[in-house]
Amino acid sequence: MITVAFPKGSLLKQSIHQFQQLGYDFSDFLDSSNRQLQIRDRSNRASGLLVRTQDVPVYVEYGQAELGIVGYDVLREKRPRVAQLADLGFGGCRLSVAVQAQSAYRSALDLPPHCRVASKFVNSAREYFQGLDLPVEIVPLYGSVELGPITGMSEAIVDLVSTGRTLKENHLMELEVLYTSTARLIAHPLSYRLDADGLGDLIDKLRGLSWEPVTG
Amino acid sequence: MIYQPPAGGRDLLPHDVAQKRWIEDRLEQVFQRWGYHRIITSTVETMETLMAGGAIEQSEVIELQRFQGGRLGLRPELTASIARTAVTRLAAVTYPQRLYYSANVFQHTETSSHGGQQEYYQAGVELLGADGLTADAEVLLLLTDCLRGLNLTDTHIVLGEAALTYSLLSAFPETLRQQVRHAIATLDRVTLEALPLSESLQKRALRLMDLRGQPQAVLRSLQAFDLDLDQQAIVSHLKGLVELFETVEQAPALILDLSLIRTYDYYTGIVFEVVGQRRILGQGGRYDHLLGVYHPQGESSPGIGFILNVEALHQVLLPSGQLPTETPPSDWLVVATQTDAIAAALAYAQTIRQSANLVRVELHLDPETPPPTVREIAQKRRIGRIAWIAAQGLPEIEALG
Repeated sequence: MITVAFPKGSLLKQSIHQFQQLGYDFSDFLDSSNRQLQIRDRSNRASGLLVRTQDVPVYVEYGQAELGIVGYDVLREKRPRVAQLADLGFGGCRLSVAVQAQSAYRSALDLPPHCRVASKFVNSAREYFQGLDLPVEIVPLYGSVELGPITGMSEAIVDLVSTGRTLKENHLMELEVLYTSTARLIAHPLSYRLDADGLGDLIDKLRGLSWEPVTG
Repeated sequence: MIYQPPAGGRDLLPHDVAQKRWIEDRLEQVFQRWGYHRIITSTVETMETLMAGGAIEQSEVIELQRFQGGRLGLRPELTASIARTAVTRLAAVTYPQRLYYSANVFQHTETSSHGGQQEYYQAGVELLGADGLTADAEVLLLLTDCLRGLNLTDTHIVLGEAALTYSLLSAFPETLRQQVRHAIATLDRVTLEALPLSESLQKRALRLMDLRGQPQAVLRSLQAFDLDLDQQAIVSHLKGLVELFETVEQAPALILDLSLIRTYDYYTGIVFEVVGQRRILGQGGRYDHLLGVYHPQGESSPGIGFILNVEALHQVLLPSGQLPTETPPSDWLVVATQTDAIAAALAYAQTIRQSANLVRVELHLDPETPPPTVREIAQKRRIGRIAWIAAQGLPEIEALG
């Protein structure tokens, strides 16, 4: 039986909708009273795991899930050994450098050398500033990165931006975009090569789906 | 202070050793039945030797302190060492050379997401100085025989052909070829779809990445590629190999997968991986340029080989219940019943030890122990028989239930 790793958070609803279009019903994961982390779809043809978005590629890399849906940002940051099979198009956002709105910085290169940059995406941030040849100190945080510049701990942040509302409400300004990200369909490479349990067919079907945003 | 093995190191206790030897003994028997001879090479190599073949990244090697100006590293695999010695010390022997090894290797894993283990055990073979269909078939069938020797069922062999795939990649513009190759090797379809390729090349790239499945079906879909003469020759070689493989009884399922390539140039012919329970149990392939790299005059000779990962085999064999769960118990406990019987006990133990078959005999070391305690100890240690030895008279044999 094929196991799919679903990401908690913003991609979950649309991910489940995609599978629903193919007759796989994992909507129990959307039910707030559901506490189960592993369920069968209602047609009993596939199994689903509900995990943190950063953990999706981990379960897929180790083969506990043959398929997973995860944002490109996580793949870029963690570089897991998984097969990237389709850009699913939804969950669009961008990884950006942001600073306090009233600051004088107008580009990343204006930042003073050896300044602090707070981020959950330490590898992406390090790579980006190395590419600019700008030495900075990356401060790893696990959430509420916006507080970095507000409290004065860091000059800038590198964080995901989707609508820009959070930045605005915290008086931050987007300076640069490192890359844009969308949801990706990933697979365990060996399972993909062996094509067990009709995995290839399911992947082809998922790839063929157009996506319409689910609301609510 | 608690003394621990270095990060990534591991101690194998007698019970672990018994399980590891179970695997290795069976593999070595199969290797020997196919006429392969064991080679033992140096654990330490110069970095130049390790990296000359192009398949080893410097970051994977655990480097040692500089010695007389040279840079030394612990071997991350044995093919480089065998190639080094084969072209020099073994140069006078007749080809083909059939060599096998069973050894530890060291891999630095800091950069991967799998930190931890650094010392691994590998068993493998190299068939040097031979190319052609029969040599390729020998190595694939030997691999199959190894799996059979371990009673491993439900395994797959994924077979690719590096020369054919590289040749099919030559249709791509040079500026993008490496990216196409990298995307195919890592099964990154998203990148492949985003590369600035013409529509027909885009289609070709995606078709190339999907050349995978039942061998006959893949061979048929290769016809759509408008193959040149060289490519046709490789395809007919591959077809012959698949046909030979299919004559083998109880062979693992064969999947032909032309996207099975590496991101570096190393393999020059067939490449393959053995898969069981979602793990890569072993891998190998043909490397016809490697020996030339190590030859003083650059003379090349063909080679093909594979390795099996002993740890991965151990993991998949463990649930099968085949591996020994305990170390073998002693057959005898020889007990001197009083201090002046120690000489007689030693002599008696030595007599039974010298039997033609292996008999495990241990001495009870304290003549003062009361007999019920001795029996308890023997039972706990699963010992079959106790020989009670007095200073005079015959030994008294007691069988334990």
